[in-house]
Amino acid sequence: MTNRENFLSLIRKTGYERVPVEFNLCPYLQKQVKERFGTSNYREYFGFPWKYIEDIRLADHDPKKYLSYFNPPLAEDGRIDQWGIGHEPSVNSMHMTYMRHPLEHMETLEELKAYPFPDYANGHKDHQRLQVEEARKNDLIALGDMQVTLWEISWYLRSMEELFCDMMEENEIAEFIFDKALEMAKIRAEAFVRAGVDVLFFGDDIGMQHTIMMSEELYCRWIKPRLKELIDFSKSLNPEVIIFYHSCGYIEPFIPHLIGAGIDVLNPIQSECMDFEEICRKYGDKLSFHGTIGTQSVMPHGTPREVKEAVWRNLDIAGEKGGLMVAPTHMLEPEVPMENILAYVEACHEYKKGKC
Amino acid sequence: MTIIEEISEYLQKGRAKNVKALVQQALDEGIDAKTILDEGLLSGMMTVGARFKRNEVFVPEVLVAARAMNAGMAILEPRLVEIGNEPVGRAVIGTVKGDLHDIGKNLVAMMLKGAGFEVCDLGVDVEPEAYLAKAEEIGADIIGMSALLTTTMPGMKNLIDLLEEKGLRDKYIVMIGGAPVNESFAQEIGADYYTPDAASAAETARDAVMNRRSHAS
Repeated sequence: MTNRENFLSLIRKTGYERVPVEFNLCPYLQKQVKERFGTSNYREYFGFPWKYIEDIRLADHDPKKYLSYFNPPLAEDGRIDQWGIGHEPSVNSMHMTYMRHPLEHMETLEELKAYPFPDYANGHKDHQRLQVEEARKNDLIALGDMQVTLWEISWYLRSMEELFCDMMEENEIAEFIFDKALEMAKIRAEAFVRAGVDVLFFGDDIGMQHTIMMSEELYCRWIKPRLKELIDFSKSLNPEVIIFYHSCGYIEPFIPHLIGAGIDVLNPIQSECMDFEEICRKYGDKLSFHGTIGTQSVMPHGTPREVKEAVWRNLDIAGEKGGLMVAPTHMLEPEVPMENILAYVEACHEYKKGKC
Repeated sequence: MTIIEEISEYLQKGRAKNVKALVQQALDEGIDAKTILDEGLLSGMMTVGARFKRNEVFVPEVLVAARAMNAGMAILEPRLVEIGNEPVGRAVIGTVKGDLHDIGKNLVAMMLKGAGFEVCDLGVDVEPEAYLAKAEEIGADIIGMSALLTTTMPGMKNLIDLLEEKGLRDKYIVMIGGAPVNESFAQEIGADYYTPDAASAAETARDAVMNRRSHAS
């Protein structure tokens, strides 16, 4: 099998020959990899199965137009992203930043309507098709990353506290923000799908460590219908496009809703929050999975042997037809020993189905 | 239903306007401010907290209830100051140095207020020295630390070391929480309590302060 065939067959649970390797490194670990292996492209070096296709490039993005939305003002070294969301660094926090929400203090629909949301409809898309062609040429899966899709982008804009209160009050502000998020997600998804991506990666955190973040009722009132509309729309453009979906934490009560909305692959099944064996037994006939190797537990604190055993155990649970793209659940942070990362890679390479 | 019960009921539903109006009405009717606080507002928040712990309600319900409590408190506070009402205890909380996550910590602050605490929230990326300085300044009973990252949770121990170093370890009840934090980590670094959610944090803080007072007296 080529890499592409192997990946697609694994995700579709029709058998696979090799276990794909995939993880995300923080800048500190990227530097370590560079020093040790002499590569600044760890994704290529470790042979990841996919390539990230760039999003629509905005024709006009002048961050200064958002400065007036921050009160108190954004820190001088703060950065403003395409949505106008502020990110303030701290000397103690490495690559992390503190988020500032431009819509937080708005009280009326008029103020919201005047906000300069990013103009994806008139952005540049030509690079996307070229990047997909390049991926195909290199036998890679083309992936459109749209995580922070509907709920999270809305909360980043408004602040979680305000948006939750808007939702509870059933007010028009929540309706407007969610509709706007959906409208823009559809424009971006369409561009990715028309460029020919194999995978669309959606994601909105709806779980906390041990409980769901909101009631099923609130989720179904505000978020599920919009996620379903986005997925239906994406699949209407290409029924073969594979939908990955990410949510941190414990989300078991939401899984049937996510299946109902049309997702194909669930990420990351945090091992500290949910039992993969149970999730796979209950939902493995309707879903494939991505992740499962805990970045709060075995990756930072386990031994290399324990990392390998976790990888093999979960691949065994998924079974010989596949259905699990085994990977660390989140970005690997500075305290994860390099030996554990290499143990994960080796475990993927060494895995023999049904032998562990 | 009495007016006090109504305050509690409306608070649980997050109806800020109703709570505000009813608190004013209760004061106008000459009901003792402390009774309105304890049996109306705080009792309502404790009920919400208990439901939150049982997974009957979730973060949004807690948020709107906390806002309703704040609306009631805005009316009640001047009267409470007049009568010299003392809080259940005083707590200094914040997210540890290097960590900028605050959603969980903010929930804990709301729940502590709902349990009758005076809360000083130091925000995110808080140095050990800053926790201690504020705790000394306000005469805190509790110092609460939050961390979302395995990278930053070891920083919790720095405050405990600092307290030891200054000979102040026994003066404060140190509580910790956050997604990757657990009981064994709390024991390992010598924190007094780990709690898995905001409602448990408030309940534990209240019990710990009561317990300490009863032993002291």
